[in-house]
Amino acid sequence: MMSDENKSCSTPSSGEPTTTRSTAPMWIIVLTLVLLFVGGIYFDRHSGWFDAKVYAPYASAETLDAYQPQSGAAAVLAHGKKTYEAVCGICHGVDGLGKPGQAPPLAGSEWVNAKKFNRLAHIPLMGLAGSIQVAGKDWGLNMAAMGAALPDDDLAAVLTYIRNSWGNKAGEVIGDDIKKIRAQIGGNAQPMSADQLMKMPE
Amino acid sequence: MKTGFSVFLATFVALGASWCGFVLAPVLQLGGAKQTVILQTTDNWPLQRPGEATLGLQIYRANGCAACHTEQVRQTGVAFNLIVTSAGKNPDAVLKAISESEPNQSKYTEHVIGFPGVIFVGISKEQADATSDKITAAGGKVETDLTATGADIARGWGSRQCVAADYLYDQPVQLGSLRAGPDLSNIGVRAPDLNWQLRHLYAPKSVTPDSTMPSFKFLFEVRKIGDTPSPDALELPLEFAAADGYEIVPKPEAKQLAAYLLTLKANAPLYEAPFTPLTTAK
Ligand code: HEC
Ligand code: HEC
Repeated sequence: MMSDENKSCSTPSSGEPTTTRSTAPMWIIVLTLVLLFVGGIYFDRHSGWFDAKVYAPYASAETLDAYQPQSGAAAVLAHGKKTYEAVCGICHGVDGLGKPGQAPPLAGSEWVNAKKFNRLAHIPLMGLAGSIQVAGKDWGLNMAAMGAALPDDDLAAVLTYIRNSWGNKAGEVIGDDIKKIRAQIGGNAQPMSADQLMKMPE
Repeated sequence: MKTGFSVFLATFVALGASWCGFVLAPVLQLGGAKQTVILQTTDNWPLQRPGEATLGLQIYRANGCAACHTEQVRQTGVAFNLIVTSAGKNPDAVLKAISESEPNQSKYTEHVIGFPGVIFVGISKEQADATSDKITAAGGKVETDLTATGADIARGWGSRQCVAADYLYDQPVQLGSLRAGPDLSNIGVRAPDLNWQLRHLYAPKSVTPDSTMPSFKFLFEVRKIGDTPSPDALELPLEFAAADGYEIVPKPEAKQLAAYLLTLKANAPLYEAPFTPLTTAK
C-alpha cells in the first residue's frame, strides 16, 4: 500500500491537471434557491426596504408612523405641519421662506416670532393688505383671510407650527385663544393693514 | 490559461458585489445623514460634542476601550403601558371596560380604585389600541406609553435602541463587538459624575469592588503635593490613595476621556426610535 501510494505521487500518470466544463450538481442549485428564499423572507421582515429611518422591530415606514406618539406637542406640530402645507404652503413655501412676488417669509419674521400672537392671529383670520415690513424687507401684496375657514384647533396648530419651525422659536397657540380672538373680530372681515395691526396689542 | 478571463471576471464580480454591499449601499442609505429633531420638541439631535470630549474619543480609541465595551443598545420589540388619567363622568362604565379587556391582557396589574392609575403594563399595540378605544368610549381618558423591550433595555443600558443619528459626530464610530464590560451608549446618563469617571478609570476596583476592568493608571500622574493641593486631585479610598504627601492628578488625556464618556447619551426619543420618556409607570 505505502509503496504504491508513494509511487503514484512521485510519478504522475497524466501530466498537468486540466479543467473541464461540467454542470453544477442539482443539490447546489436547490440549496441556492432555498437560501435565496430564506434571505428574501429575512430581508422582507428586517430591511425596512432600505429606508434609513426604519430599524427592526419596525418593519416599514408605515409601521413606524403608526407607532409614533399620538398625543402631546409632537402631535400638534405634526397636525400643524400638515394643515400648513395644505393651506399656507402654496404661497409661503413648505420651507417657510416665502416666494418673491407671491408671499413674504415666515421663517425669521418678526410677526410670527412675536412674544404674543394677537396680531399674528389676526392675519390669517382677517387677511392682510398693503405694505408690510418683514425681516427688513418691504412687501406690498395682499393676503386673503386664508385661515378664517379653519377650525380653531387647526389654525392654532398651524400657528404653533410656524412659530416653532425653520429656526423660529416662540410660544404655543391653543384653540381657545383663537376662539377668543375670533369672537372679538365678530363679523368684521375687512383685510387689515400693517399699520392697523401695529395699533392693536401684540 | 484558457480560463484566465473568466477567472478575472468572476473575481471582479465577487469583489465588486461585496464592495457594493459593504461600501456603496451604506453610503447610499446613510451617507446623507443629518441632525434630526427630538420627538415632541424642536430640539436638534445629536449635538456636536465640546472640543475636549471630541479629543476624548481618540483616547477611547487609542486605549482599546472598544475591545471590551460596545456602544450599541439593541432592542427586540415594543410594548405599551396604559394609564387611565381620568374616569370621566361614569367611573363604573370605565371599570367595566377595563375588566372586559382583562382576559386578553396577560400582564393585567390590578383593578384600579382611583384614577389616574396604570392599568396595563407591557401589552401590544393592538391590545393597547383596542383597550383605549373601549375606555374612551366609556368616557374615560387614556394615555399610552410606548416603551422599548429587549435584553439590553432590561439591563438598564438604555431606553431605546441606538440608531445611526446617534453616531453622527463620532469619528470613527466606536461600535465595539464584545461585551466584557457594560454597554456605554448611555454611560453619561448612568454615571454623570466626572469624578466618579476619573476614579473608575484610575482604579476600577475603588468604585466596583469586583471589577475586572484594567486600571488606566498611566492616564494619571502621581506627584508631590506642592504648597497647595491640586483641585483636580482624586479622592480615593485609603487602599487606593497615593502615599502620604503625594496626590493623584488626571493628565489632560484622562480628563478628555472622562469628558467624552459624559457625552455618551442615546436617550432622546427620535422618530426612528420612538418611546415615551419618563413613563408614568414607575
Ligand atoms: C394666496 C397666497 C397666500 C396664502 C395661501 C397664505 N398667505 Fe400669508 N401672506 C400672503 C401675502 C401676499 C402676504 C403679504 C401681504 C402684504 O404684503 O400685505 C402674506 C403675509 C402673511 C403674514 C405676515 C408677514 C410675514 O411673513 O410674517 C403671515 C404671518 C402670514 N401671511 C401667515 C399665513 C398663514 C398662517 C397662512 C395659512 C393659513 C397663509 N399666510 C396663507 C400670501 C398668502
Ligand atoms: C479588559 C476589558 C476592559 C477594557 C479594555 C475596558 N473596560 Fe471598562 N469595564 C470592563 C468591565 C468588566 C466593567 C464592569 C465592572 C466595572 O464597572 O468596573 C467595565 C466598566 C466600565 C465602566 C462603568 C460602566 C457602568 O455601567 O458602570 C466604564 C465607564 C468603563 N468601563 C469605561 C472604560 C473605558 C473608558 C475604557 C478604555 C480606557 C475601558 N472601560 C476599557 C472591562 C473593560
